[in-house]
Amino acid sequence: MLPRNLNEKLSTEKFRTIREIHDAFDKKLLSPVELTRDYLAAAQASETGAYLLLCEERAMEQAKAADQVLAREGKVPRDRLPLLGIPLGIKDNLTMDGVRTTCGSKMLENYIPPYTATCVERLEKAGAVSLGKLSMDEFAMGGSNENSAFGPVKHPTHPDRVPGGSSGGSASAVGAGLCVGSLGSDTGGSIRLPASYCGVVGVKPTYGRISRYGLVAFASSLDQVGPLTRTVEDAALLMDVMSGFDPMDSTTVPMPATRSFQALQKPADLKGLRVGIPKEYFIGGLEPDVEKAIQTSLRWLESQGAKLVPISLPHTQYAVAIYYIVAVSEASSNLARFDGVRFGVRPKDITEVKDLTGFYEAVRNGFGAEVKRRIILGTFALSSGYAEAYYKRACQVRRQTKQDFDLAFQDVDVIVGPVSPTTAFKLGEKASDPLRMYLNDIFTIPANLVGLPSMSVPCGVDSKGLPIGFHLMTPLFQEDRMFSVGQAVFQGLGGGSGYGLAQGSNVGRL
Amino acid sequence: MVEINEELTLKVGHLARLALSEHEVKTFTAQLGMILKYVEQLQEVNVDGVEPMTHPYIDRADLAAPLRKDEAKPFPRDENGKPKVLLHAPEVLFDGFKVPPIL
Repeated sequence: MLPRNLNEKLSTEKFRTIREIHDAFDKKLLSPVELTRDYLAAAQASETGAYLLLCEERAMEQAKAADQVLAREGKVPRDRLPLLGIPLGIKDNLTMDGVRTTCGSKMLENYIPPYTATCVERLEKAGAVSLGKLSMDEFAMGGSNENSAFGPVKHPTHPDRVPGGSSGGSASAVGAGLCVGSLGSDTGGSIRLPASYCGVVGVKPTYGRISRYGLVAFASSLDQVGPLTRTVEDAALLMDVMSGFDPMDSTTVPMPATRSFQALQKPADLKGLRVGIPKEYFIGGLEPDVEKAIQTSLRWLESQGAKLVPISLPHTQYAVAIYYIVAVSEASSNLARFDGVRFGVRPKDITEVKDLTGFYEAVRNGFGAEVKRRIILGTFALSSGYAEAYYKRACQVRRQTKQDFDLAFQDVDVIVGPVSPTTAFKLGEKASDPLRMYLNDIFTIPANLVGLPSMSVPCGVDSKGLPIGFHLMTPLFQEDRMFSVGQAVFQGLGGGSGYGLAQGSNVGRL
Repeated sequence: MVEINEELTLKVGHLARLALSEHEVKTFTAQLGMILKYVEQLQEVNVDGVEPMTHPYIDRADLAAPLRKDEAKPFPRDENGKPKVLLHAPEVLFDGFKVPPIL
């Protein structure tokens, strides 16, 4: 790496948002190659374990191409290439042609996909640089990034703690300054929870907004790809670039891309905004600091003219139970393809294997414990004699959950609350108790069950300096409103300084 | 309520083509027991007349993806004409994935 004055800030720290970076490119204060080189250096030096793979050559090629565009155009052509030269990290369950994709599993430790995920392709067509593949809980199953077959990821500022999961690498990388933004996936909270723990912005779009072509499937009716960023504005821009109907994914909705970045250019008017507070979310069980930060955020919204409206979501208590039947059932089906035929690491000694079943079993021993546990649970919930009592019933209560939200949204414009009952816990603290880990997802799961757009916005830190996330949900397809309110909260509570944690703000600080 | 025992765990494991070790059978049976006990609360909900919702847009014909033309597309190949999907296949035989005998 180039020698530099140790007192000089890395470009990764000087220019933190897409806007700042593009302004710096225009003013010739920074070049795409310098920025990518600095991010690669930061990623290499990091001890978070966020990256599983760095695409140095490929990323430098992209950065050089960005340099050439700038030389030719003089300024960043923001309309045509809104992400020119912006370095991003990609969660390792999103395929990239010719680049190893592991999903955090030994099962795919040698898998090299022959195609690129639509969402990644769209980002790269807009000029983005893909720095590398980010660590995750194996096959997106987990809430702490301790289930990666390649080692846990550490929290960006408190290395003895988890970053959350399953997009732990994605959140930790943004929080630790190892990329401008990253892609994660969210099935029950896997973007929002780590975003909350790491003090960054995390968005799960409306179901069907962003193509899942190239996202290795976990639970097809719940999975969504989404951005993790330092600011709300950057998340909106990434959303706009990635979203829109994709003929390669029949679950994408026949709608054009969002235009949330545009919508954000007009400051939000919170006067008269009806903010729904579900009574079921505040029955105790929140860490005191988390409760305090959320209450402070609510008071702030009120001070801006918003109207706090108590609502009820009666089926809240069943959300985790529904999820741990529906998601695992879908997973048992989706993971049936890992049989060693097209993917999967085959046993070295094939003569030991009696027949195809023995072959499948030998290959599928490559799954980690959490994955096996969920496959068994899902297989059971769908099996003859039990499917009606478990899977069908869970789907019925899923519909009732949707009905709760339909009713509530007649009276309110946005529903808010905590992302998690706690802040980031210590590595190893919950590892031996799967059920305890599952209960972290209670506030995030409903948005996946119903398909609602939702986001986590940093709203403060606890007495140990651990970030706390504020959760927002709006009705289906209302990303504009969600981003608008999210931006107001983000800026109002001090996150607007351009970095995730509400630094320098007394709000939420105890 | 279903009583999950080691026999059931093994049986379900076999359905999923997972060969479990003795340790795994013991541990999983205990953990699955706890999880199933937790989800049992769904039995207390009144679901009379409620249609199961397997997907967020199951009732929304307006959100269904338009059908596309049944057009064959050329199989992606590398510069040597080899199908890309076989480039990193575990084992290849002619233009297919090689597997152990089925019968």
